[in-house]
Amino acid sequence: MAASSPRSSAQILDLAGIRLRFGNHEVLKGVDLKVEAGQVVVLIGASGSGKTSLLRCINLLNQPYAGRIDIDGERIFDHDNHGRDRIRLPMREINKIRSHTGMVFQQFNLFPHMTALENVMEGPVIVQMKSKAEARARAMELLASMGLEQHVDKRPAQLSGGQQQRVAIARGMAMNPKVMLFDEPTSALDPELVGEVLKAMVALAKSGMTMVVVTHELGFAFEIADRVVFLDAGRIIADGPPAEVLLHPEHPRLKGFVTRFHESAEMLRPFLDAR
Amino acid sequence: MFDYTVITSNWQLILQGLWVTLYYTVGSIAVGLAIGLVMGLIQLSPFKILTYIGRIYVEFFRNIPLLVTLLWIYYALPIFLGVNITKGWAGFAGLSLYIGSFYAEILRGGVQSVDRGQTDASVALGMSYVQRMRRIILPQAIRRMIPPLAGQSIIQMKNTTLLSAITVPDLLYQGSYISSFTYKPMEIYTAIGAIFLIILVPLTLILRKVERGHVGGH
Repeated sequence: MAASSPRSSAQILDLAGIRLRFGNHEVLKGVDLKVEAGQVVVLIGASGSGKTSLLRCINLLNQPYAGRIDIDGERIFDHDNHGRDRIRLPMREINKIRSHTGMVFQQFNLFPHMTALENVMEGPVIVQMKSKAEARARAMELLASMGLEQHVDKRPAQLSGGQQQRVAIARGMAMNPKVMLFDEPTSALDPELVGEVLKAMVALAKSGMTMVVVTHELGFAFEIADRVVFLDAGRIIADGPPAEVLLHPEHPRLKGFVTRFHESAEMLRPFLDAR
Repeated sequence: MFDYTVITSNWQLILQGLWVTLYYTVGSIAVGLAIGLVMGLIQLSPFKILTYIGRIYVEFFRNIPLLVTLLWIYYALPIFLGVNITKGWAGFAGLSLYIGSFYAEILRGGVQSVDRGQTDASVALGMSYVQRMRRIILPQAIRRMIPPLAGQSIIQMKNTTLLSAITVPDLLYQGSYISSFTYKPMEIYTAIGAIFLIILVPLTLILRKVERGHVGGH
């Protein structure tokens, strides 16, 4: 695993020195994150550690006050430490780059006035100006791959949480994204629905999709992630292969975090016993 | 005894009053919607100054009784500006400014009531502000705004009776006029009340039906 190697064969994401403030509270205190094509990177950390904030910086849903962001070699953001622009992209350019990333939210955020199919077609038709026929064909294909062919004409309110989240994944994938961003995609789901969403995400990862995932599903992280990144109080304090980060935590904060999970969820018990 | 002839022999005066009432109702609703749209949307803009202007406008006209606004525009404003304002324009302006402040609140509230996640999702797809508003936010907001907008418009029709205080010959003014020479206030004011009921009760029922249809969702 080329986890922390400086070699950048096909770097999809390159964030450097990201600093983010909400009012007087500094949420991210200089974060560096590189993601290579095809990698699955899982961000973990206690609530308030900044993992969701960091994810939302990638497509500028959160605007950092300092740092640099490259997506697939294109510089989309560059501020020095005094908040001065080094580059300033017009909104249209930013929107274009955003359209090359897919995002899946904790609360699904499907458009309630549209059917599942229309939700998936919306981005390609309105933003990428594809023909309706082309967008429909691709949307049908994606929804089928999510096992939702029987639900394409339903509104979000008629779907279960797990189905909604799979529609949301299809909606993100419809943009042919260079990277898929997941913000706690299973946290709002009833326990019995978590599996179907994780399954869809595993399939996506195996298909070679580049993914950045904020999650508390350490089992998913352990099995699927190429790298696990642990954030604490706005800083990355561990970044490496899952076995290293989750099974041999060195930093005391990480140790505490992982131990709490071991105790409560017991997800990693089989792996720990086998060790 | 209830003397119908007072109404039947003066129906033309009553009809004139009804036209005036409807004219001011529809006209002030149309202008008020335009005012409300501007004053509501500028409160959602990122520019602080515009937000304040919108807020001040809303709080100003919403918290002064309409009767006071009408009297002030008709009697006091000409003294301030040193110009003459006809009672028609004064009434029209007062009604429009008043309802505009309520519409502005409904519009602002409607847009803000749409979940933030909807903005997040559409931004993440790369939609521009205009695309977002047109495709995602407004379609959801308008659904929620229709009932309060319609309700406020019904109140507006009743509020036009205040025009009689500045001698605009609306339905109520005509009624007072008829009763002043027939000495039959019971018949006349009963008829005027009935006319409002006949117009507004069906509208209210339709509104309720529309509302139920939308709350039902699909």
